[in-house]
Amino acid sequence: MDEQFIFRKQFRQVLAIVIVVGIIGSLGAIFFSKPGSSRIWASILLNNQFFLGIALGSAFFLAVHRIAWSGWHTVLERIPESMTTFIPVAFLLMLLVYFGMDKIYHWSHSSGQDAILEGKKAWLNIPFFFLRLVLYFAGWIFLIRMMKKNSNLLMNSGDLKYHNRRKLYAGLFLVFYAVTVSASSWDWIMSIDAHWYSTIFGWYVFIGMFVTSLAFIILLIWFLKRIGHLVYIRTDHVHDLSTLLFAFSIFWAYLWFSQYLLIWYSHIPEETTYFLQRKENFRIIFFVNLGLNFVVPFFGLIRLKSKRQLGVAALVAAFVLIGHWIDYYQMIMPGAVGESARIGILEICMTISYAGLFIYIIFNSLASRPLVNKNDPFLEESLNYES
Amino acid sequence: MENINYISVSFDDEIPLLEAVGKLKESNEKILDVLTPFPVHGLDRALSMKRSRIPLIGFIFGAFGAIVGFGFQTWVFTINYPLVFGGKPFFSAPSFIPITFECTVLFAALGMVSAMLIKSKLKPDSKFIPFDENITNDKFIILISAEDVESARNRIKLTLSGINIIAIK
Repeated sequence: MDEQFIFRKQFRQVLAIVIVVGIIGSLGAIFFSKPGSSRIWASILLNNQFFLGIALGSAFFLAVHRIAWSGWHTVLERIPESMTTFIPVAFLLMLLVYFGMDKIYHWSHSSGQDAILEGKKAWLNIPFFFLRLVLYFAGWIFLIRMMKKNSNLLMNSGDLKYHNRRKLYAGLFLVFYAVTVSASSWDWIMSIDAHWYSTIFGWYVFIGMFVTSLAFIILLIWFLKRIGHLVYIRTDHVHDLSTLLFAFSIFWAYLWFSQYLLIWYSHIPEETTYFLQRKENFRIIFFVNLGLNFVVPFFGLIRLKSKRQLGVAALVAAFVLIGHWIDYYQMIMPGAVGESARIGILEICMTISYAGLFIYIIFNSLASRPLVNKNDPFLEESLNYES
Repeated sequence: MENINYISVSFDDEIPLLEAVGKLKESNEKILDVLTPFPVHGLDRALSMKRSRIPLIGFIFGAFGAIVGFGFQTWVFTINYPLVFGGKPFFSAPSFIPITFECTVLFAALGMVSAMLIKSKLKPDSKFIPFDENITNDKFIILISAEDVESARNRIKLTLSGINIIAIK
């Protein structure tokens, strides 16, 4: 039970090369194809949001399982726990957006002539925007750190009081996260189209986060099992993870449709512009988004057999990850960049370097501790879990 | 099933029950049914039962319901009684989706429940056979079919020796 993941030198080198290649590729694309500064800043924001979403979704995964006294996930809880270590890095990367504010958010440099923006000024102004940004991250980092710290104390001492304390922080995190995930999605994504609003938007972004983190957990398990780790994660655990991925992909589609149907039906010009722009100028992206995030996981995981096969689940998870990247793309790009937005070398290289950094940080954190918390009170239940 | 010869073995707990099922399977006894007050994990595996086909029935009925729901609305709003709602075209698919979804759920649920009732012989006119007075109680019961009840009872007693049994009838 003291199995340790070793972050070998080859892995480090491969990931470092991936990061460097990504950075060189995006710099090359910036210098040679002159994509326009709004495209650069928007794709930085997109990747920040995408990878931060995966990290936050896994913190939510941990918190919700702990507060529900769940036992099945204990053998795999190190994986989401390591995924949350990206959040402090995401904080630094999100601060970068300060330099691109006027390129992405048109409210940040309004001349005072726009009545709608004037009405929203109490919320949408640059000092308050960054104050909120710091507050969100401070709360997330603190609560997640406390959960993790108590996990480590529990592992080292076996004292159950740390387990209870960890559960308390999980509850606090859920309350804080429920509010801040909505507010942060208004700030960072919805305010790109500052004239437009949707009351379900926070939920929509939140479910995207949870689905991407589930998909990433499945992919990491697939990888770690391939290199010979985590033998005690059996088909029963994989089954539950794929069921969650399946269910929340359907829930994502439900929220997507709830947003679409009401705007389509009420036909208020101020709201319909959002979908009009996406359906006219981003037609392929608009439908690919639905296909990858709903149709693929729905038909890919509907059978019991495919839910219980890690290979199939990992394949579907990879499609879902791409799908949610595209989902963020269609949320951010039409407003921030407009018709000149496209998925070119810049976007792909930048995503590759972000992914390399993200995986590097996860592996670093995974290697720092044993892969299973041997003193967790639910470990026995998890090892003998049947689904 | 009324004139069947059977033996019922009752238990207090699920652990001796699972153990007994394993032993009876090993000695090739024919288990008719196992009756428990709550679902027991691993019981269907111990009985080596085939996987239920209820999900497939659910899928078929659900797909049927989706087609019926969508098709009926399309027929009503384009052919039978076309009306303009909110300036939308007669055939406006997004507005049909919620009802299509409800029809899918309704058909799948009713289909699965009725298939289950028919398959487990719980039709309204079916007769209740009281195999054992404890089957609606808090006891766990295995029913074993036997040609010659007396000899089978002794045989099973021998097979299950060492397991905590309440009664063999």
